[in-house]
Amino acid sequence: MTRLSVKSLWARKVRAFATSLAVILGVAFIAGSYVLTDTIFAAFDEIFTESLQGTSVVITAQNPVEQESGEVATVPRAYLPKVRGVAGVKQAAGAIFTPGGFFDEENDAIGTKFAPKFISSTLPEGLESLTYVEGKKPEGPGEASLDKSAAESAGLELGDTLKIVGAGKVVPFKLVGLTQLGQASFGGASIAQVSLPVAQALTHKRGRFDQISVAAESGVAEAALKRRIEKVLPLSARVETAKENAARGSEEIRDNLGFLQTILLVFGYVAVLVGAFIIFNTFSITVAQRVAEFGVLRTLGASRRQILGSVLLEAGVIGLIGGIVGIAGGFVIALGLRALFAAIGADLPTTSLVLESRTVIVSFVVAFVVTFLSALVPAWRSTRVPPIAALHGFTPTVSRGRRVVFVALAALLAAIGVAFVVAGLAGGGGISGRAARIGGGGIAVVVAVSLFSPSLVRPLADVAGRPLQWVRGLTGRLARENSKRNPGRTAVTAAALMISLALVTFVTVFASGLKSSVAQVIEENFAGGLVIENTDGFSPIPAGAAFAAAKVPGVKSVATIRGAEAKVVGPGNTVKVNGPSPNIEEGVEIEWLKGGPAKLRHLRDDEAIVSDDFANENNLEVGDTFELLSQSEVHSKLRVAGEFESKVGVFGDVLVTQQVMADAFKQRQDTTDFVILEPGADAEKVQAILTLGADRAFPTAEVLNQGELREEREAQIDQIVRLFYLLLALAVIISLIGVVNTLGLSVYERTRELGMLRAIGMSRRQVRTMIRYEAVITALIGAILGLALGVVFAALIAQPLKQEGFTLSYPVGTLIGILVLAALAGVVAAIIPARRASRLDVLESLQYE
Amino acid sequence: MAAPDGQVVVAQELTKVYGSGETAVVALDGVSTAFERDRFTAIMGPSGSGKSTLMHILAGLDTPTAGTVTLDGVDITHLDDGELTKLRRDKLGFVFQFFNLLPVLTAEENLVLPLSIAGRKPEEAWVDQLIRTVGLEERRTHRPAELSGGQQQRVAVARALVSKPAVVFADEPTGNLDSKASEDVLDLLRRAVDEFRQTVVMVTHDPAAAAHADRLITLRDGKIVQDGAPGGADDVIELMKQLD
Repeated sequence: MTRLSVKSLWARKVRAFATSLAVILGVAFIAGSYVLTDTIFAAFDEIFTESLQGTSVVITAQNPVEQESGEVATVPRAYLPKVRGVAGVKQAAGAIFTPGGFFDEENDAIGTKFAPKFISSTLPEGLESLTYVEGKKPEGPGEASLDKSAAESAGLELGDTLKIVGAGKVVPFKLVGLTQLGQASFGGASIAQVSLPVAQALTHKRGRFDQISVAAESGVAEAALKRRIEKVLPLSARVETAKENAARGSEEIRDNLGFLQTILLVFGYVAVLVGAFIIFNTFSITVAQRVAEFGVLRTLGASRRQILGSVLLEAGVIGLIGGIVGIAGGFVIALGLRALFAAIGADLPTTSLVLESRTVIVSFVVAFVVTFLSALVPAWRSTRVPPIAALHGFTPTVSRGRRVVFVALAALLAAIGVAFVVAGLAGGGGISGRAARIGGGGIAVVVAVSLFSPSLVRPLADVAGRPLQWVRGLTGRLARENSKRNPGRTAVTAAALMISLALVTFVTVFASGLKSSVAQVIEENFAGGLVIENTDGFSPIPAGAAFAAAKVPGVKSVATIRGAEAKVVGPGNTVKVNGPSPNIEEGVEIEWLKGGPAKLRHLRDDEAIVSDDFANENNLEVGDTFELLSQSEVHSKLRVAGEFESKVGVFGDVLVTQQVMADAFKQRQDTTDFVILEPGADAEKVQAILTLGADRAFPTAEVLNQGELREEREAQIDQIVRLFYLLLALAVIISLIGVVNTLGLSVYERTRELGMLRAIGMSRRQVRTMIRYEAVITALIGAILGLALGVVFAALIAQPLKQEGFTLSYPVGTLIGILVLAALAGVVAAIIPARRASRLDVLESLQYE
Repeated sequence: MAAPDGQVVVAQELTKVYGSGETAVVALDGVSTAFERDRFTAIMGPSGSGKSTLMHILAGLDTPTAGTVTLDGVDITHLDDGELTKLRRDKLGFVFQFFNLLPVLTAEENLVLPLSIAGRKPEEAWVDQLIRTVGLEERRTHRPAELSGGQQQRVAVARALVSKPAVVFADEPTGNLDSKASEDVLDLLRRAVDEFRQTVVMVTHDPAAAAHADRLITLRDGKIVQDGAPGGADDVIELMKQLD
């Protein structure tokens, strides 16, 4: 029997490969996601290890509150003499390593938009990890170096001007050296080095360091030295051996980029789910077609178990092929994803591709489990074939009672699914628990709709097919009838497409809602004026920009807002704290619930205004006090002086004075500046002057009017949507392979019928048209179901977001576009089967059994 | 248009060889014959005699190794697929042994299928007449699955006639039917010739079927060994015995 399975697969090797492809693509995506993220992590590990060459112990500040901006707390210069006095310390030096911005002579940015750029200080010989491959180390003011790959891609040479933006105005430097860090690649990231005092001045960290690097005398163990240093420093200092420091860096990267792995894997598993439908369908059809063969085997004495075994063995072989080719394909996918991220400006550091044993195991397990489970029902059906089928053929019929059970099961599953989604949305539990409930519920609903969809095939085929019949008459009519011929088969094929298109629709509708909500917020809040923000849209803008802007003629005033994350003492959760300037309401509207503008203008340093959400969560009334912990471990006791309505991302949870922002949170840079114009001022002219000034002095800042701000935000959303579309394309492609597969098998099954049609005068073109329309109808059924599901899901998920200002909008044009594209995809999927059908030899087909 | 001498199909020196070298099989060995208008011809012969091959070549479904077929004045042996399709659509009618009807269409839709394929509007009176002739007035809207084997085959015969072709080819039309149903189908073919002035060429292995024809051609080893009036079924059986 084993030989029989292998032979029977071999006899249908093209079909077997097409079926494997359904597994291969999904598995390849999962493997690729692991390979890519593992490679990125390995590259970071390499960077961390390389950059600690010669360093034994690293001293940094404890970082009790993680900042969205990625900024870390600093250590004071006073630590350095204490460290130097510890026995066994050979050498110790303070260093700066802070994000900044790099520009060339013409103020063109160096490096891609989202790639990190670091301002670093030079370290003395022995602690320095960068090697100078060209030129020399910068010394004193006016000199800087840049890493070689950044310089090369920007076309900079020694002697050229390199402009660096730290916390303040842009400063020009002469490029005196090019560096490299061992053999490690930074991806799109770049590092500029200047001397320590220059770095401190640039980053506004005078008298402070980002870290202190210590080299041990020979014979002194790192761990022992660490313990000795800990004794001379306060608890707020974090003392680590080089190894510990590198390990923490790796871990932080894994935490921060973990979401990337998760998102990619989600898309991979969606592709696998779609693939499962295809495998199920293909096995169902081939089992149905091989009924006579199974009948003969049974008359020859094969047991049911042997038949079951032979079909499942075929599934096993498909799974094996899926696993092997999938892992190999994973490397291709990893490279493709890397190129994709690079294309949107997120170059990630890489090294040679990493294949962990976990990747191999997961890929094989997924490939096997999916093919096995998908083939189980068809395989079981094959055992129901009675020996008499050898003579008559046999069609297992689905009885009416069974149908009712099916529909009831579908309804039950749908109800459970919806309940899970609602429970997930209603909240409770961590974000991952909620996401799991929503995702699990979504899958249940999808499977329920798939179970129910055979009943929908007839009406939907009529809806989709009638227009074709009007246009094309007979071929349209036949296509419509053929797609209804085997509703279960059409339904499963369409369901695979439904899943991918439901996700596409969901993303489309949700993004459209997000865009219109953002547009609404911007329209309602930033009335008329101009906005200054970082070109990347989220980092702080250099200090001094607001002051400079206020002096431009036509500008009445500039309102500013600064932000940082803080921990709420007690519950321990992290909240966004903002420090607006007293005149903030000239630029942005606040919806007051308690208190009012006067309260904000005269806010005291021991007072805060909180959002209604924050007040409710912490049971705070006006007059109550609460305590915040800042990143630099400053505790601030604040009394609630007012309450405002939460708005999407503008004010966060807590408003404090800018003095508190500077003292407790060490934040002196603005997140956003709102430029308020004199009545009658020419906005365009003011914007032009401000832009010119920003280019010259603060090139990381840009000046936007209301429309541009909206466009900027919309463009950011669009970019993510495009990325999602690309990732979902895989699932769509797999579902189209399903259409190809089903159609191919149907053509094979209907060989004789096609021969007859050709014999009585149907032309090749008419045969092609008929098959093509059948594919179009199947695709449209999937698209209609997918659109409906996607819209319902978007509406469901938007429900609880309503209070936060999220409004749903339906991009009707895009949704129709999806429908049209689905129909076109059907046309493409039909190419091969239609060609096969039209090329059939009439005589051979007629004699075909 | 018909050839002037009233011969609708003319075969000249038809040879068909399958395979090559030592394994070559000669299915037809220089067959020449002609079929006249408004006649019902049966082709018989033992298995492997070449009767089916002859019909397939006459109908343009297969190409001869040598020789020519002229159908309604046109040499069909060198037509391409498009021309053959048009020929089948306009000049030929077919009745097969199995799988004759599309399961997704009704009896009437199946009947007019050749016209639908050609994009022509069926003549109502003609279609009504055909349906009456095959006796399926009550079952116009039934699907094939709801018809008996004999009824299905009668629809297939009507379908072959609907486009008023130059010649109808029937390949073992009764091979899958019981004797009563066979009789109905053969009667129908007979009436097609007598009442509707059609030309019918039928391949069969059933002597009783052959007895309905005006002319019987018998093949053996790729050659015509007998050509003439069939007489009654018993005569045909006698004839077959002599050949075996």
